[in-house]
Amino acid sequence: MTKSLEILLLDDEPIVGRRLKPALDKIGCQVEIFENPLEAVARIDQKEFDIVVTDIRMEGMDGIQVLEHIQKKWPRTKVIMITGYAKMDLAREAMGKGVFDFIAKPFRPDDLRRIIANAAEALGRPIDAALLSGEPDKG
Amino acid sequence: MSILNKLKLDKLKKITHREPEIRDFCIQTIRFKKFLENARAMLDLIEDGREKALGEYIFDRHYVVSLIDSVIERLGMMVYDACVLAPQSGVELYAGYDRHKLAAANLISGKSPAGKTGASETVTLTEPEYQLLSDALFWLNGKDRADAETVMAFMKQVFFHVIQGIEPTDAAKNRLLFDTSNVKATDMNFYIIDLWKDALAPPEKKRTARGFNCVPLKHLLMDADCGESKTGTGNSSSDPDWVAAVTEYQLSLNSLKPDLEFRLETLASGDAQSDFIFIFAGKSTNLDSLLPAGFHIEKAHYGQLAWDLDLSAKTIEDSLMNIGRGLFG
Repeated sequence: MTKSLEILLLDDEPIVGRRLKPALDKIGCQVEIFENPLEAVARIDQKEFDIVVTDIRMEGMDGIQVLEHIQKKWPRTKVIMITGYAKMDLAREAMGKGVFDFIAKPFRPDDLRRIIANAAEALGRPIDAALLSGEPDKG
Repeated sequence: MSILNKLKLDKLKKITHREPEIRDFCIQTIRFKKFLENARAMLDLIEDGREKALGEYIFDRHYVVSLIDSVIERLGMMVYDACVLAPQSGVELYAGYDRHKLAAANLISGKSPAGKTGASETVTLTEPEYQLLSDALFWLNGKDRADAETVMAFMKQVFFHVIQGIEPTDAAKNRLLFDTSNVKATDMNFYIIDLWKDALAPPEKKRTARGFNCVPLKHLLMDADCGESKTGTGNSSSDPDWVAAVTEYQLSLNSLKPDLEFRLETLASGDAQSDFIFIFAGKSTNLDSLLPAGFHIEKAHYGQLAWDLDLSAKTIEDSLMNIGRGLFG
C-alpha cells in the first residue's frame, strides 16, 4: 500500500483548516492543521511534509518566510500559497522564490484538490484518480 | 467610466457654449450612465456574496468585511450620482445612506447585527464567517426582512428619486431645444444626439439615424419599420417621439410621448462582462411582452425597472432587435 500524501495546512483563520481538512482527507491525504506560523515551522523542523499549504499574510511570520524556511530545510517539499485580495505584490515575490502554485480566497475545496493533485504528480506520487473524481465536497 | 470619458466629461463641464442646454442634456445622460454602472456593480457584489454563501466556497472574515465595505463604497457613489441628477433629494438620500453605513458598521463590529434586525428567522451557522455572510446577505436583500431596511430596497428608492429628478426636464422643453439644434433625424422620427460631439457644437446639418455609427442603435432599428409605426417613429412630418443619445457602443433612448414613460440604456461593446440593457418603464407598459426571456424585472410603485447583464454580443443583438420590433413595429 502506498504511503499517504502528507500535508501541512497553515492559515491563521481557523475556518480554513476546519473546512479544508475533511476535504483533503477524502482524497487520502494525511493533514495536519496549524493556525500559528511559528508552531507550524517548529513542526516542519521535525518532519518533512510532501506539501505545505500556507496563507501568505499572517501575524508573526508571513507565507514568504515560511516558504524560505521550507526551501532551506526540505527542498523537495511543494509549497502552495493561499492569497487574499490585494496581496498580488506578495504573490509575485513568492512566485520568484519558487512557490509551486497559488490559490486565491474565496475558493472551493475542489480548486485546491486540483492543485494538490498537480503537486503530487510533480512529486511522482499521483493521487488515485478514483478519489479525485469522487462526489464533490459539500462543504 | 473610462479615464478618457472622465476627461471628456470634465471638458464638457468647463465649456461655455452657446447651446448649453444640449450640453446639459448630454452631461445628465452621461451621469445617468455612471449611476447605472454603480448600480450594476452593486448587483454584482450582491450576487458574488450569494454565490459564495450557496456554493462550497472557503472564505474568511476578510472576504465578508471587504464585501460589506465595497457595498457601502458603491452605495455612496450611487447616492452621489443620484444627488447630482436629483439635487432636491440630497438630504433624504444621504440620510438613508448614513443609516446603511451605520448598519454595515454594526454588522462588522457585531454590536447589533444589522442582518438580524426585524428578521423573522435566520439560520444560525456554526462558523462565524458564514454567519456574518448570511447576516450581510439578509441586510442586502433579505426576503423576510422589512423591505425598507434592505440595501436593495434603498437602491430602488434612489432610482425613484433619480427618475423623478430627470423627468421634470420635460418633453416640451426638450423638444424646443432639440428642434432648434439640428438634431432631428432625416430618416426617422427621432431626435438623435452624439453624446460627445453635439455637446461641444450642435451639428451644422441634419443627419440620418441609420447613418450613425452606433452599434446598439443599429441593432434596435434592424427590424424597425421606417414608415408610420405604432409608437410614432415613421411619419417625418410629426414631432419626434423619441430622443436617442449615442456613442459608438452606447445608446440612451428616451420616450418624449406624454403617455409613454420609457427609457432604455445599453452598452453593446462586445465585452460580455460589461454589456447590459437597462430599462425603466411606466407601470402601464407591458414589459413581459416587450422583453425577451432573461430580463430581471422589478416592479415598484413608481414604475418598472428591468435589466439583463453579462450579455454576449449575439444575445444583446437579438434582444435589441426584439425590443426594437416591439417599440417601433
